Amino acid sequence: METQRLRGQSVRWQSAAAGQDSQGDSQPPSGYWHLTAGRASLLLERRALAVNLLLLALLLAASAAYLMAGSIPVSASELIRALAGDGEVVTAFVIHDLRLPRLAAAWLTGAAFAVAGCLMQTLARNRLATPGIIGIDNGATAFAVASVVGLGVSLAPPAMALTGAATAAAITFGLASGGDTRGYRFIVAGIGIGAVFGAVTQLLLARVPIDTANAAYPWTVGTLNARSGSAVSVLALGLAVGLPLALALGRSLSLMRFSDAVAAGLGVRLRRRRAQVLSLSVLLTALAVAVAGPVGMVGLIGPEIARSLSSSRGVPLAASALAGALVMVLADLAGRVLLAPIELPVGIVTAIVGGPWLLWILLRPASRRLS
Amino acid sequence: MAGVAAPLALHGRRSLAGMTALACVLLLLAVLASLLLGAGDVGPARALAVLLGAGDEEARFVVGSLRLPRTLIGIGVGLALAVSGALLQAVSRNPLAEPGLLGVSAGAAFAVGVALWLGASTATLRVAVGQLGALLGCAAVLSVVRLRGVGSDPVRLVLAGAALSALLASLTALLLLFDQRSADEIRFWVIGSLSGRRLEDLLAVLPSLALALGLTLWLARPLAALALGERVAAGLGHHPGRVRLLVVLAVALLVGAATAIAGPIAFVGLVVPFAARALAGPDIRRTLWLCLPLGPLMVLGADVAARLLVSPAEMPLGVLTALLGAPVLVAVVRARRLPTL
Repeated sequence: METQRLRGQSVRWQSAAAGQDSQGDSQPPSGYWHLTAGRASLLLERRALAVNLLLLALLLAASAAYLMAGSIPVSASELIRALAGDGEVVTAFVIHDLRLPRLAAAWLTGAAFAVAGCLMQTLARNRLATPGIIGIDNGATAFAVASVVGLGVSLAPPAMALTGAATAAAITFGLASGGDTRGYRFIVAGIGIGAVFGAVTQLLLARVPIDTANAAYPWTVGTLNARSGSAVSVLALGLAVGLPLALALGRSLSLMRFSDAVAAGLGVRLRRRRAQVLSLSVLLTALAVAVAGPVGMVGLIGPEIARSLSSSRGVPLAASALAGALVMVLADLAGRVLLAPIELPVGIVTAIVGGPWLLWILLRPASRRLS
Repeated sequence: MAGVAAPLALHGRRSLAGMTALACVLLLLAVLASLLLGAGDVGPARALAVLLGAGDEEARFVVGSLRLPRTLIGIGVGLALAVSGALLQAVSRNPLAEPGLLGVSAGAAFAVGVALWLGASTATLRVAVGQLGALLGCAAVLSVVRLRGVGSDPVRLVLAGAALSALLASLTALLLLFDQRSADEIRFWVIGSLSGRRLEDLLAVLPSLALALGLTLWLARPLAALALGERVAAGLGHHPGRVRLLVVLAVALLVGAATAIAGPIAFVGLVVPFAARALAGPDIRRTLWLCLPLGPLMVLGADVAARLLVSPAEMPLGVLTALLGAPVLVAVVRARRLPTL
């Protein structure tokens, strides 16, 4: 349904542009700003800009709340003073050494999961095909746990997670019969693969003494409590490289939503682009899993929010990243605050929120179900 | 028509008896293995001595008080899960309908978790609560089946079930965080394993197991008629609505009982009926018949492997059934044309 509508839109858009060209007028299409600097030019969608700014404002507000709330409450004025570099020692310690690093990890993992989810959904042309659902998170987790419990493998968790994610992705996409990734069969096959890797994780945890197993337990639920600093740095590096690359792919991505024939006809080198999109998604997922464990629901919820706010003209990658970070920050905040002395792992919070959402998507009337 | 069908049926019946006998022999071997092999240091030779009436004190204790209850529980759990899978698949006409995948086990586990959290720890109450949870899970899933559009797509139903299971599992994990005292008791059980279960647990569920199996025996013919369509079944004098209701009851009894003893164990209800159908053909009566030896065979085999693979330690039974079952799930889903029941 939506494809039809989109196709109509883009045709209308092109004909409008052609009409304007024939009049020698360089006005941008309605809803866009046309920025030029010398020979470089950029077509900026006003609505996308507004959505991104809105999400950014929400993210900043949520982050302020995140920094203020907790077992040691920090007032707004204290927060500003601590961020500026003075204030009480205890407050400064709580903000700088405890909450800010965790907030940074929440931003980075949320953005990475959501962008990876958005890329994978677009690649598979299937709204449910997020890395968390088709088993890639579990693959990364299994390998990362193998590294943590030390089974004679000396690679660092991020590298192992990357290997695992790539393995799972290769199996899932390799099993997609005839490259058909649209339907539910692809998803359920992915769930099966995820179950195998989940079992492997349990198997690894059963093989080791209980102390090591407790150290590896956070991996199985997903939490920001047990992150390692080096994994966060690796994730920051990966995001710094991956996010611009993903944004640069945006144009091809919005064409890849149509059928292969249309995309190829409009000049997308499908084979190469697919490989790039898949490897970006796998990379971001793996690095995020190495920090926070499998919090896959963010990869579903973030792009959903972004898509419901944005117009359907493009693939909302930047908005997904912001929405994913927002979801992660809010979920971890809720996990820390709601049951105060007990801390809920962020993976459980997102699963409790995301599960009903997923069910709702599945049980909606058929006409509005896919893509 | 009858002339063609009769020889086929005759041939099928003869081979069914053969297959059942073979499965029973294998099951007997699995029972022996389960009694003789273990993660501890009572080896096969010492255990065999106990079986022959001799043996030292320690070996007698290990075999009689640990391995024997475990084996019996394994047989009961395997029976319950396999039969409930076959029933659920027949009534929802969906080869992927499995209590573990559809969230029925997760419903039972969540209910038991709530009961334990509220302070109930007697085995009987746990069973009843588990069965209530399974009933609710079953009702939820089957009402989803009857929603427009979902029933016709087996795969989509599994996806909805997976979402439901994940949600319920998270809620159970939430319960674990609330209360450290009961957390140990629940965590011990929520993984899905046969180790450390007592014979009393099995005795507590025996009545409901017997009731459910009797119900199944009575339901086999109506279900076989229902496979031909509702109208045909009604024409043959059955009441489709009543049959469905009773099947749901039987499934809830079976899954609730199995989950109350062993915790949630997925994929047994998928793999065993799948194998039974492949061996015995699409007739639900034959499938059910073959499920009786095959279910315990799979559970006991997986349990023995769980003891041996990581030898000084043990691993949860659910892990092994997932390793066996997930490839079957993928294979069923990838088949060009999903087999409809």
